[in-house]
Amino acid sequence: MTIKPEDILRAIATARGDAICVPTMTTSPAWRTLAPDDLSIGCVGFMGGASSLGLGLALSMPKRRVIVFDGDGSLLMQLGSLATIAGARARNLTHLLFKNGVYHTSGSQEIPGGLSVDFVQMAQGAGYRKAYAVSDFEDFKRRLPSMLTDEGPLFVELHTGLADKTPMTDRGGQPFHQQVESLYQKLHKAG
Amino acid sequence: MPESIPASLIIDTLKDTFREARKELAAEVAEPPQHSHLGWILSVPDTHQKTVLAALDKERALRVVTCATEDEANAINAGLWIGGEPVVLMIQHAGLYASVNTLRGVAMDGRVPTFYMIGLLQRERDRDPKESRHSMVRFAEPLLDTFSVPHARLEGPDDVHLIPEYYRLSRQRRGPTAVLVGLETM
Repeated sequence: MTIKPEDILRAIATARGDAICVPTMTTSPAWRTLAPDDLSIGCVGFMGGASSLGLGLALSMPKRRVIVFDGDGSLLMQLGSLATIAGARARNLTHLLFKNGVYHTSGSQEIPGGLSVDFVQMAQGAGYRKAYAVSDFEDFKRRLPSMLTDEGPLFVELHTGLADKTPMTDRGGQPFHQQVESLYQKLHKAG
Repeated sequence: MPESIPASLIIDTLKDTFREARKELAAEVAEPPQHSHLGWILSVPDTHQKTVLAALDKERALRVVTCATEDEANAINAGLWIGGEPVVLMIQHAGLYASVNTLRGVAMDGRVPTFYMIGLLQRERDRDPKESRHSMVRFAEPLLDTFSVPHARLEGPDDVHLIPEYYRLSRQRRGPTAVLVGLETM
């Protein structure tokens, strides 16, 4: 069974509070609609960097939750970031992996290893505090509160279908430098 | 002739640089971050700067994150900067070559202040880096020039003033700058 990625994002948008979210690739178009103009920054133009960007944010603001919406193809590009994140012991980092087995944005070519790649074992082996898989939306909703509060680094492999939109079918959103500036201003110049 | 720079001098200079950065941020923002440390070193371990990395193990004021790749270091730097934290990336020339896409995508296109200390492993004492027998050494400065990254050489203890200068420059121009560590630190 797989979950619709948009359902996951909708549930997170409702529950996240003041968490900073870091979407990448196919979660980006839906997240722009669900959470416009808020504390988010998309990984645009450097595929694979969402987890590291999230780590930097989490280390700089240890009292605020940071949630990374990673992709399986993206994470494979910087797989070593699992060890870096675990080594940095970012307690406020939630690393969500939207696993669909393909590079959806570039035409749904299968990722190396396809759906058989076990990212949960990799995260556990790297030293994440907790790592597990979720393949049912009701189970996801039940676990969501703890995903936002459990001590991290926390890794959740979400077994999802394909998103309705990709960055190629739904272009738009701010370029990365505008997102950087916007988040910086919101965090430091509020009021 | 270039000379080796003591690790303690580099670390003291980094501390001063970070103190100044925190003071500037405090004057600029509503609620500056309050931490017990001064700043962050993002390191992909570099043979050339190994005495600095070893000395950093004993430092509580500077937090070190050892990264698996320079790509990671670039993206972590962006997150730390957005959060208001002073950061230095300590890498090797080979890592610069390996991470050109994140140099472009994060530091340049993202307009993220990014300050590199790049070790020139195998740089010959008696030869200008541009004349080096080793391609790793020879191409470092031309690569930085290609991407219009301001850079300077740390050729000895008298050059450590370039660390705060190029750190500040990365903040002023909202992009990457680099200092190249000529000889192995001691």
